[in-house]
Amino acid sequence: MNKSDAVKRAVAFYFFVALFFISLPITLSYSLGYHIDYHELKIYKTGIIYISTQPSGASIYINGKRHTDLTPAQIEELRPGTYRIEVRRKGFYPWAKDLIVRPNMVTKADRIVLFPTTLEITRISKHEASDFVISNKNYIYYLTRSGLFRSNIDGSNLKALLAYSNWPKDIINKKFSPDGDKFLYFNKWTIDAVYLNLDKDLTLGHESARVEEVLASSDPIIDAFWHSRSGYIIVFTESDIKVVELLGGGKRNIVSLYKFNRMPRGIYYDESADSLYFTDFEREADGKEMSYVYRLDLRQTFFDSLMQLLLKKEAEAGYEKR
Amino acid sequence: MKRDRFYKRLFEIIPGLLTWLTLGSLFILAFIKPLWVAIFVITFDLYWVARISYLTTLLIFAYRKLEKEKKTDWLKRCQLLGTIDGLGYENIYHAVLFPVYKEGIDILTSSISALIDSNYPKNKMIVVLSAEERAGQETRDNVAALKERYKKDFFKFIITRHPDNLPGEVKVKGANATWGAQELKKFLDSEKINYEHVIISCFDADTCSEKEYFGCLAYHYITNPQRMRSSYQPIPVYNNNIWQARSIARILELGSSFMQMIETMRMEKFVTFSSHSMSFKTLVDVGYWPVDMISDDSVIYWKCFLYFDGDYSVIPMYVTVSMDVATERGIIPTVIKQYKQKRRWAWGVENFPYVMMGFLENKNIPLTKKIRRGFNLLENHYTWAVWAIIITFIAPLPLIFGGGLFRETAIGYNLPSISAALFRISLFTIFVCMFISIRLLPPRPKEIKPKKMLIMVIQWALAPLVAALLGSTPAVDAQTRLMLGRYMQFHVTEKRRTRSAQHK
Repeated sequence: MNKSDAVKRAVAFYFFVALFFISLPITLSYSLGYHIDYHELKIYKTGIIYISTQPSGASIYINGKRHTDLTPAQIEELRPGTYRIEVRRKGFYPWAKDLIVRPNMVTKADRIVLFPTTLEITRISKHEASDFVISNKNYIYYLTRSGLFRSNIDGSNLKALLAYSNWPKDIINKKFSPDGDKFLYFNKWTIDAVYLNLDKDLTLGHESARVEEVLASSDPIIDAFWHSRSGYIIVFTESDIKVVELLGGGKRNIVSLYKFNRMPRGIYYDESADSLYFTDFEREADGKEMSYVYRLDLRQTFFDSLMQLLLKKEAEAGYEKR
Repeated sequence: MKRDRFYKRLFEIIPGLLTWLTLGSLFILAFIKPLWVAIFVITFDLYWVARISYLTTLLIFAYRKLEKEKKTDWLKRCQLLGTIDGLGYENIYHAVLFPVYKEGIDILTSSISALIDSNYPKNKMIVVLSAEERAGQETRDNVAALKERYKKDFFKFIITRHPDNLPGEVKVKGANATWGAQELKKFLDSEKINYEHVIISCFDADTCSEKEYFGCLAYHYITNPQRMRSSYQPIPVYNNNIWQARSIARILELGSSFMQMIETMRMEKFVTFSSHSMSFKTLVDVGYWPVDMISDDSVIYWKCFLYFDGDYSVIPMYVTVSMDVATERGIIPTVIKQYKQKRRWAWGVENFPYVMMGFLENKNIPLTKKIRRGFNLLENHYTWAVWAIIITFIAPLPLIFGGGLFRETAIGYNLPSISAALFRISLFTIFVCMFISIRLLPPRPKEIKPKKMLIMVIQWALAPLVAALLGSTPAVDAQTRLMLGRYMQFHVTEKRRTRSAQHK
């Protein structure tokens, strides 16, 4: 290597070494949230506010002063403290909040949803509908005085399914089965199931749906859930937990799985695990009544064996009676 | 003896241990001290940008020298030189040694044709084809056929058969090269040719030298007062089949060429690599290439360095020798082939224990020189093994394992954007590489469509991916093997050309 090469190389080497050592403290202090005040030659800690909105492009006001950037934006070098942040966009309701900026930390106000000031409401149903259910197959089912209708989710392709109008007025809730082929609705005393997608040739009125009362309860019904198999309904009444079997002909199997000591305050059915959670009271040794949370496992294997056991006992009892 | 074994193992362990300590501690710290790792990552990223910017600047310098010296008629310059220290180009012999394994006759024909095409008197050239006996009859037939075909073109055409399993030897290229050099010595002795007047070039079987190579070599040899204490290193390019090779292989081999170009500007670290040349006298004095080490090309330099008490250097020559890109038809086989080749190169880490043991024995080399060269050698292999892993895999770990609180800190929040910004800055190096690679391309063969030129440009978009995949992993593999004492065997990178790449 000749002398001029050596000089060029040395210049390049020291240039990049100097560049590294100059840029390192600047980059690190910026990364860590420090700000260097070159006028006062002071370093102080700062924080960051990150704001993102949906839709984006909204103006940001910090303590009433407009920031240059629109959302999404990263506002840096803020001294620790509380800042009044406002986000405004024409045609949307403004958003405002007091945000605390901590030293070397990021305060995130992200995924702020700005709601439009003028809402667009579209009437979907073409006929009067007293109630409706939306299936997991993206259909809307209308419960009307002239029958059961179905349309696509946007209201198009309306079809009459069933000429039935005896819908109860005091429906508490409606729920679709996991297989999407039926839904139930219930009031305080009865549960009805609506079977959909039936073969028209096999129904009496050549209709593609059918309504059937599946339970008339003597105790007030609190809630009802579909078992994951879609062939069973789990019913909470004020006195017990029932399982109603929908499948098969003849007499419907209804089993009372558990009797409450007192009406439950809390109930929950985990459909993914087929587990029931509920509260009940228990009398302690000192005579006091205490409330606990219980779980009842209704997973497939357990549930099958339980039903078989109950049905077997029932059959044996019937045989003995005879 | 026991003490020597202890030190040798210690020096074998150090590079791998350092690498694993670095990567392991960064991985663990990413869980328990993500802030520390984030600071380290930013510092390392910045260091890396500064380093590659510096290296790219050196690459530009080297490229400009290459461009400038490309136009030189070196033979004419030799003729104008006359005689220095009793040496003139008329009384210099070039011995070109090709250790041959199973390379096909087409590959060897190209390499010998390049010698014939060179701008140097052929009656001053001796060709030695040293075929491995274990390569079989076909190889023996090939070298015999080549001798028959070319013997009249050169001063002497020697073919020899390197026996298998000689005592003290392992199956490495250096053993074959040494055998070939010893056969050459017999011939020179019989002809009473002074070893100092013979420059030996040890070429891979696929090495095609540039037209001016031997003139340039002779010029540097004659004009160098320290000619016996120097090796002569050309710039290796991989142009033989570059138009036919896979993009991923091209990028890697171009990267290797660029590293060699950069090394020419860093002479204090410069070590022989692949095809190289040296005085035959020096080769005989130091006892030829090592017969039990894979990285014969660099070990020969260290052998000379130790023999001459640290007074040995490598002279860069801005002429190219062209070799084959290690490529396959499919992408995965190409990646595997490249991985194995790079691992073999990375096995050059075996030089570290060799050099350190030599330093312990040699009391004449100044301590500062020992420390500097030992550090350079270790740092090269260490950096090779960790850089891509730190940039690609360690950098995101603080964010992944640092938890929600870390992500809410300013540094946790800034880390991705700063890393991305530094990455963008480093992209300019890719543009430089792209430009130089295009300039170094050989003419496009007729059967290659013009649109391939576009691929030669856009292939550089693969560079970050290739770096992440093959930047460091072969080096970690090699260092780990050495650390665990699982020594590698020489694995010949099979050179195979497509029909269109043959007989260019």
